[in-house]
Amino acid sequence: MKLRITAIAAFLLIAASPALAHAAGALPVVTRTGGVTLITQQDAAAPLLHVVYVVRAGLNRQSLAQNGLAALTAQTIIATPVNGVPLGDAIAAAGGSISFTVDPSDVRFEIESLPDDADKVLALARTGLSAPAFDAATVRAARGKLIARIAENQQVALQVGLDMLNSTMASSANAGLPQFGQPAALEQLGPDDVKSFYATYYLRGGSYVSAAGRIDALPAGTLAAFGQALPDGNTTAISVKLPKLNGASRQLVAERDITAPWLIAQYPAPLIGSKDFGPMLVLASFMQRTLADMADVPGVVSETYASRAVGAVYQYENAQPDLVLYVNGGIGNPNRSFSTALSIASILATTKLEGSIDEFKAMASGDFISSTNSLEERAWLAVIYDENGQQPDYLTRTLDAISQTSATDLQRVARDYLSNPTIALVLPRENS
Amino acid sequence: MRRPVLAAVALAAMLAPLGAFAAGEPTTGSLPHGGSYTMAPDLTLASSAIDLWFRAPAAGYDNASPGIARLAATAAAAATLESGKSLVSLVRGVGGRLAINVYPDLVDVSASVPSSAARRVVAAMSAAYFAAALDDDSLKIARTDVAVLSAQEHYSPDDLLHDALFAQIFSAGPAHFAPIPSQLADLKSITLAQMNAYAKRAFRSANATFALAGNVDQSLFAAVTAGTPGSADAPIVSTTAAAPSDKTVNAAVTGEGLAWTGPPIADERAATALDFVADYLFRDQTGLVSKALDPTGDAYVNGQFITLHDPGVMLVTIGGSKPGLVETQVLGAITNLQQPLDVAAFTAAREAFLYHLAADSQSPTEQADNLGWYSSEGNGTYAPSDVTSTYWKAARSLDPQYVAAVVKKYLAHPVVVRLITTASKEPTS
Repeated sequence: MKLRITAIAAFLLIAASPALAHAAGALPVVTRTGGVTLITQQDAAAPLLHVVYVVRAGLNRQSLAQNGLAALTAQTIIATPVNGVPLGDAIAAAGGSISFTVDPSDVRFEIESLPDDADKVLALARTGLSAPAFDAATVRAARGKLIARIAENQQVALQVGLDMLNSTMASSANAGLPQFGQPAALEQLGPDDVKSFYATYYLRGGSYVSAAGRIDALPAGTLAAFGQALPDGNTTAISVKLPKLNGASRQLVAERDITAPWLIAQYPAPLIGSKDFGPMLVLASFMQRTLADMADVPGVVSETYASRAVGAVYQYENAQPDLVLYVNGGIGNPNRSFSTALSIASILATTKLEGSIDEFKAMASGDFISSTNSLEERAWLAVIYDENGQQPDYLTRTLDAISQTSATDLQRVARDYLSNPTIALVLPRENS
Repeated sequence: MRRPVLAAVALAAMLAPLGAFAAGEPTTGSLPHGGSYTMAPDLTLASSAIDLWFRAPAAGYDNASPGIARLAATAAAAATLESGKSLVSLVRGVGGRLAINVYPDLVDVSASVPSSAARRVVAAMSAAYFAAALDDDSLKIARTDVAVLSAQEHYSPDDLLHDALFAQIFSAGPAHFAPIPSQLADLKSITLAQMNAYAKRAFRSANATFALAGNVDQSLFAAVTAGTPGSADAPIVSTTAAAPSDKTVNAAVTGEGLAWTGPPIADERAATALDFVADYLFRDQTGLVSKALDPTGDAYVNGQFITLHDPGVMLVTIGGSKPGLVETQVLGAITNLQQPLDVAAFTAAREAFLYHLAADSQSPTEQADNLGWYSSEGNGTYAPSDVTSTYWKAARSLDPQYVAAVVKKYLAHPVVVRLITTASKEPTS
């Protein structure tokens, strides 16, 4: 059997040509000083300045018993009183915002502001980061915020499924814990725990300051000085090995207060520097379209709930990347959509392709380009590429990788990676 | 708040501090064969946002064909062009996304594409609309598309409440009718001839504004080959009801909505003050009312001031199992704002508002949407996505007393719409 892929018109071949890779402007500039990597991307037309600050104080710096401590420490920083109000409120009142994400190995602060306020906002953030308050009231307020965020996450079926899947994918058990921890564990963590975690892991070795947008609004040297906010030194991860489960089933099941079942499948995927990176981006786009085509009413022009209820996401930013496919059962039987998609992927892997894959390459390019529109994404992508040992000109490199993908590459990647998923089912509670 | 932009570049050059000019100021001009453009380039990006806006009544020029604007706009995107492809196929094929947004008084066709494809998309979009050739096939696709959207809306409390509140506030004119009709019979009764006649009038180039952002430049307009010179329609207004009444509506979902008529777009300071109020009270995560909701519960609130030619509308929608409780919080917060905030709290809130303006319009798609909306509503120089616009001047000029006065003037008595289901125990009015 031969799989027929829709032939494309000549203009699509042009769209996928390498010329596309050179559409954008200035390349990120990288400097390294005293353990801190500074990446800058000036954009004079941007309305804001965005700074990503990455510290090696993520999930793998906490033990299993400290589930949530990395997040509690980051939230305590944002709750630290500055000028009489929590840091987050002080920054908002100064024309900016601060938030954080806890990754398997890092905590990532996102700081953004109007250009005219950027110097003031960064000074506030630096104050909070370098001298957090560890008193009981501040930590209690931080814990309350985290528990509220956990409650919100528990209502998002996709997040619940990803948390379960990440716990099985992580090489170290602590790195697979939920990013905000669990309420019961957080209740056991107090100011001394936060203070100790901060003192041990908030060091500047291996940290990143990545800025995008109106860098010209800052006095010279501001970003470099910001990178020196923490004491010198390096930290190492805590390795927590748990015996692998030997059960035959690779299905994880949870029940939540949701209205329809969700099916989420996770496959291991290649790192950014891998020769399989470009092909996996194309494969993810192919799977996305396949799932959407099956879910949607044929021929519709508008994006509908059905097409948004399915998806394929290649999470190449993770230290152990994965491809996630998801189907929201609110649009019908998720098993049917999912098994059909897998059948098509299987055929793709094993059958000689007829026609061109250029349309899928164009889709993959378009999807990636769309992901570079915000300052936050641009600043973060530069870090991801540098962390993976790549030059941080992420746009050119990614579009080149997509452009060079052949049908043979696509099939190889489908064969090598799409064979054995771990599946999470998130089901409505019986009484909901 | 909705946002667009036009020139005033010369004026802005005199008013704005030097630093502000680092940002790309929008430029405006005329299309080669009728119509206008407004554009905010950022050449460091690899994507282009290409929006085509028309002043067009959603229910037809006689307000007797609900859904005709959506139907015609969709059919034009689906119709096969000379290249052998439709606009939607072209955009998807180059890795982009196409969206059609129809409002009571406006049609927006929005594409986000890699910049290398921008020229082809401008050419295809202008051909698809300025020389629309709609046939039975494209009508069939459009009917299916609109039917799916109509079915979806039955389960979207925000959309249902928006349409129902507008129907109460506006007694006649396009704003009285839902852009996507809830009754499919309305769609089926629209003929191909009616749709073509509508498209020919509404989608003529002279009535169009291209709004571009991202990696774009003026040379793209050389790709516009269709169109005929002429003049644009004036901004479309609807008739407000003399004494709008509350209403309870049977629906598939529950919810509650409140609306107040506000200032026209020409009253820039008052309109900006109501944008500030919406941001201060209702913005997700940071709004006073939003933050007061129980995070473990199912309650939610959305609030925005919709800037229209005349009048604008402040609209608040409430969801969850206890809408009455949230309504009390909303009305209490608005009553409190009739008294001026203390200066420190106000200054902090205004600075946060300014930041939110910029944060909400940083992507090319958001900027093009902003530019197109405000231009089409008749005040292109008042687009918040442009930091040199009159919007920012108005926002910086707000003070506690003025905001309190605007709240007192416009937000006294809301129109309330309640959605109830058969099983709902919500009170009826």
